Amino acid sequence: MAADKTTNKMYQVGKSIPKIDAKEKVLGQAQYIADLIRPNMLFGAMLQSPYAHAKIISYDTSEAEKVPGVKCVLTGDDFEDHKMGPFIKDEGAIAKGKVRYMGEPVACVAAEDEATARAAALLIDVEYEELPAILSPEAALEPGAAVIHEELQDYFKVFEAIAEDNLMSFTEISEGDVDKAWDECDLIVENTYETQAQNHLSLEPCGALAEVEPDGLINLWSANQSVFRVQANVCECLGLPMSRLRSMTPKVGAGFGNKMEAHIQPLCVALALASKRPVKMILSREEDFETVRARHPFKVRCKTGVMNDGTFVAREVELLVDGGAFADDSPGVLGNAALMSMGPYHFPNAKAFGKVAYTNHLRFAAFRGFGNPQVTFAGESQLDEIADKLGIDPIDLRIKNVLDKGQKWFGGQKVDSNGLQECLEKVRASSDWDNRRKNSGDNGIGVSAAGHISGLLATGAIVRMLEDGTFVLNTGATDIGQGSDTVLTQICAEALQIPIENIRTAAPDTDGSPYNWGTTASRVTYTTGRAVVGAAEDAVRQIKDYAAILLESSADDLELREGGMVGIKGANKEVSFFEIAAMTHWGVGGPIVGSHTLVFDQPTIDPKRAVARGMPFTNIGVFTFAAMVSEVAIDQVTGKASAEGAWYAVDVGQAINPGLVEGQVDGGYAQGLGYTLFEEMVWDDGRLANPTLMDYKAPGTAEVPYEIDTTIVEHPEPDGPFGAKGVGEITLVTVPASIANAITHASCLRLRKLPLSPERVLNGLMENE
Amino acid sequence: MTEAGYSEPVSVDEVVTLLAADDEAKCVAGGASLVAMLNARLVEPSRLISLRHVEELQKIELAEDGWLRIGALVQHCDVAIAAELTEGNQVLSQAAGLIANPVIRDMGTIGGSVGHFDPAADYPVALAALGAEFEIAGANGRRSIPASEFFIDWYETALAPGDLITCIRVPPPPAGSAGVYEKLAKVKGDMGIAMVAVVMAMEGDAVSHLAVSVGGCGPTPIRLSDAEQALIGGRIDEAAIQNLGDKLSAASDPVDDVRASAAYRKILIPRLVARAIGQAKTKLGDGS
Amino acid sequence: MSSGETISLKLNGEVREATAGPTTTLLEVIREQLGLTGAKKGCNQGVCGACTVLIDGKLARACLSLAVNSVGREITTNEGLTEDGEPSPLQQSFIDNGAVQCGFCTSGMIVSSHHLLQDNPSPSVDEVRDGLSGNVCRCSGYKKIIDAVRNVAGG
Repeated sequence: MAADKTTNKMYQVGKSIPKIDAKEKVLGQAQYIADLIRPNMLFGAMLQSPYAHAKIISYDTSEAEKVPGVKCVLTGDDFEDHKMGPFIKDEGAIAKGKVRYMGEPVACVAAEDEATARAAALLIDVEYEELPAILSPEAALEPGAAVIHEELQDYFKVFEAIAEDNLMSFTEISEGDVDKAWDECDLIVENTYETQAQNHLSLEPCGALAEVEPDGLINLWSANQSVFRVQANVCECLGLPMSRLRSMTPKVGAGFGNKMEAHIQPLCVALALASKRPVKMILSREEDFETVRARHPFKVRCKTGVMNDGTFVAREVELLVDGGAFADDSPGVLGNAALMSMGPYHFPNAKAFGKVAYTNHLRFAAFRGFGNPQVTFAGESQLDEIADKLGIDPIDLRIKNVLDKGQKWFGGQKVDSNGLQECLEKVRASSDWDNRRKNSGDNGIGVSAAGHISGLLATGAIVRMLEDGTFVLNTGATDIGQGSDTVLTQICAEALQIPIENIRTAAPDTDGSPYNWGTTASRVTYTTGRAVVGAAEDAVRQIKDYAAILLESSADDLELREGGMVGIKGANKEVSFFEIAAMTHWGVGGPIVGSHTLVFDQPTIDPKRAVARGMPFTNIGVFTFAAMVSEVAIDQVTGKASAEGAWYAVDVGQAINPGLVEGQVDGGYAQGLGYTLFEEMVWDDGRLANPTLMDYKAPGTAEVPYEIDTTIVEHPEPDGPFGAKGVGEITLVTVPASIANAITHASCLRLRKLPLSPERVLNGLMENE
Repeated sequence: MTEAGYSEPVSVDEVVTLLAADDEAKCVAGGASLVAMLNARLVEPSRLISLRHVEELQKIELAEDGWLRIGALVQHCDVAIAAELTEGNQVLSQAAGLIANPVIRDMGTIGGSVGHFDPAADYPVALAALGAEFEIAGANGRRSIPASEFFIDWYETALAPGDLITCIRVPPPPAGSAGVYEKLAKVKGDMGIAMVAVVMAMEGDAVSHLAVSVGGCGPTPIRLSDAEQALIGGRIDEAAIQNLGDKLSAASDPVDDVRASAAYRKILIPRLVARAIGQAKTKLGDGS
Repeated sequence: MSSGETISLKLNGEVREATAGPTTTLLEVIREQLGLTGAKKGCNQGVCGACTVLIDGKLARACLSLAVNSVGREITTNEGLTEDGEPSPLQQSFIDNGAVQCGFCTSGMIVSSHHLLQDNPSPSVDEVRDGLSGNVCRCSGYKKIIDAVRNVAGG
């Protein structure tokens, strides 16, 4: 268990308290979407497309409708032509007119039980006319390629998208003049790096449960990372006013980006509306693999120019991204990848540009790192190639070029807190880098560093005092298992100086919660934490005003005291929250409600400094940093590389709960390790060949070493809650390059294509011989 | 969707009678293979015959002919620690110990696994190296089929409709032999990319017994008896091992799948063979 | 709502009645009819481990176990390991060591851990890793789970 820092002077912040929902989970009593039951509930199932790209000619639902127990059958003909999408509104609730990937839902059924619904769905007969399948971004962008979205120009887009035919989005950011700068460089290295599709594989498959009340209001529970994005998506694609739909979430069996935007919720609501009965739909693991979303395959051309002393002069990065059949978060992922492609370093001349293309794969979308793991794999691998050519230690090369205080991130946003240099120095020490790089045995070690965003968009908090002086905290943030309910409760308890037990944290509910864009972008601790501090301060102002009445004092002379008391500074006289609650509820003023909302508003691009085209967002977040060293062993007989240990240092601004920070490090490492060494979604033509846990392997206890060392570095973020910033994604971002660099250290082998499979390693070893 | 029937017979004869009466009936033991297929709707049997009360299938015993009889219902966890498997026959316990994970090893049975016959599974390659036989009860009584004739093609065995595997018969190990099971898998417990089973004995510097089989690299386990025989009586040096590995690789017929390419498997076979034989030599006390 | 016959199961020390056809799995029965939702359906293929239970003291996947084939056997789920509805020392150790994130794997993980500790009360790190190699967790990286198993008080 994480040790609390002895230097910490705070009351609740900085303590590794157990997660507030841990007890119900260890008892097996926590309720997830699949555990929920409503009276008279039906079960929904879907029919999936057998083609990657085809026109739908006709449906015959008669056989399915005859099955006893079937209550309703819906096809694309039953849906109006409304569209959803966070960047480009290109996606309906169900295929209509054509199918765009194999596995896409084309029809659905509600029946008295799951087996009946699933069997009936297979009896729906759909006639198709097959179209050429586009299975790579290169094929998609060839002149004359079959167009996947004929109405692309007419779709509503939330940004000025550069989009045409199968080009979903083009983005370019540049600073300085890379073309001129190459002449100044002593050394230029240019390579192409490739990454594969990874499945999120949250252990809980996606699911939803919808019911329609007699007045037409819809209640929707689902596995999600944002009740508000669920509400928006469902209402957009079904043409419903958002005031008609209440979106809620039970416990969520993890989300890594897969549950942020819609999955099965629109179909589930449509079935409930049509059948006038509650309907539950839970995806099978295969359906989840085939229809939800996955990490984008990237091709990254990276060209870096440096001076002989290691000073960075210029970098150019070109990206080609498979976006899949629907835009979803793809334009954002491309934009963030471009923004992250210089790494956490200062390049006087920098340019990143790239394309994301529509293809007939399932949609690729948000996944822990949001485009950063791909470009960091390229950039951080290339830095080691440069260090090797220059004869400079890889950590020294990074430290020499780390963004200094006051320097701007690529694009021009200011960086207020940056502990990366300290992170690099910490992992150098903790991993015994200097010795082990010199005296390697069979194992290799490699380093990698990164910055990542923490923040983005709007959030709010309401802190409400109850009759007895305890509180309800309501933020609308979904705890997806990472522990945000606990962290936000600690922040609230710190701000109010009360015990954790005196705060109840409300479950997200669009009827009662303030807006929260979602649990994504490493944002809840930082962004929602700020809202909680603001709401608690609002409540404290009111508490002090009422306490001043009771204490016959001035609010300015009062202070909060631990345990729910307000006292006069320098005097013993004090009054409890209980007394203030009683007064405000029954006599004076009215019950205390503190609230605060904000939207992250620091501009990403400074037009005085950078030129940008096709940027999908204007503001993205503050910056969080990490460095890591990985240890790898290579089996020379088979080529199999295995991870033997990891040393991390993460700059989280201020750890609200160090134990939960470690949880994010350990988990990010494991997921990154699978991504680096063996996880890969494989397609056979348009068919996903491994949509099961039998054939798609996640790391188990044998693959993840126990030796994961975490050093927490704290460079407070000025406007973060008690200085905190997020840590959810960055711990995965650094993994691929650190392992690739460790393989090079162990074997002189440079691999530029993920996953670093036994086959690729052995082929490389044999070529080197 | 018609509901299947369900029976719990207590004897092999009863099972055979039930199977004979219904072409679409399936036996269920641990469930590790069959229930996964039921859940995925890959099979829809008309009747499930639970073998759990058939005593005869549950035992490991040494028969009078010196062969070991491993009942079809013996679980992987018990094969993995069976004291009856000695010397070279330990290649079978090693294979059992590498199947999937502790939970599946507690559930799955040897009969279920070999009857389902996934060529990437662990038992077939070990049983091929041991020259094991399969005792089968069918409508015409019992018969024994050697491993070399039992595995026929991808997911296809010599089992006829109505047949039940009653036990796996393992010959006594060659005196002083050692067994080595070598497996490369993407992650621990996964189906193998390639596996090699070696049973070997030596007299002095000379090889007195050698069996090498390769799994996961074609429709059935691969053994080259002539090449094995050619090495008997001589020293088994690096060149000889390489030669045998190359021949096994040439005889293999792997496919590209989600775990690895066929080309990689072809490269891998001689390397795994060399490692396994090297380990067998070490076990036999030959450091040369 | 499975059709089929009435069966009785010995579940967590109680005799419970349920309805099951020949192909109804134990997981469906305990989750949908008997109200015990600790065991989860993560893959329905026996790989993820979220439905791990004990049958006659041996580990089993409830999703690969037929309900009718489980009649007469002692079935124990994670709920059956609690002590008067409160966490057992092992379950408490999962809380105290920060071994729980999303919680979807937790019940299966605790059942496998319980079985491991019965055979070996003081396992090494590698023994725990071996014992839990059939239970997938996508959140934790396993480190804190291994700590929880090794740090059980009074275990």
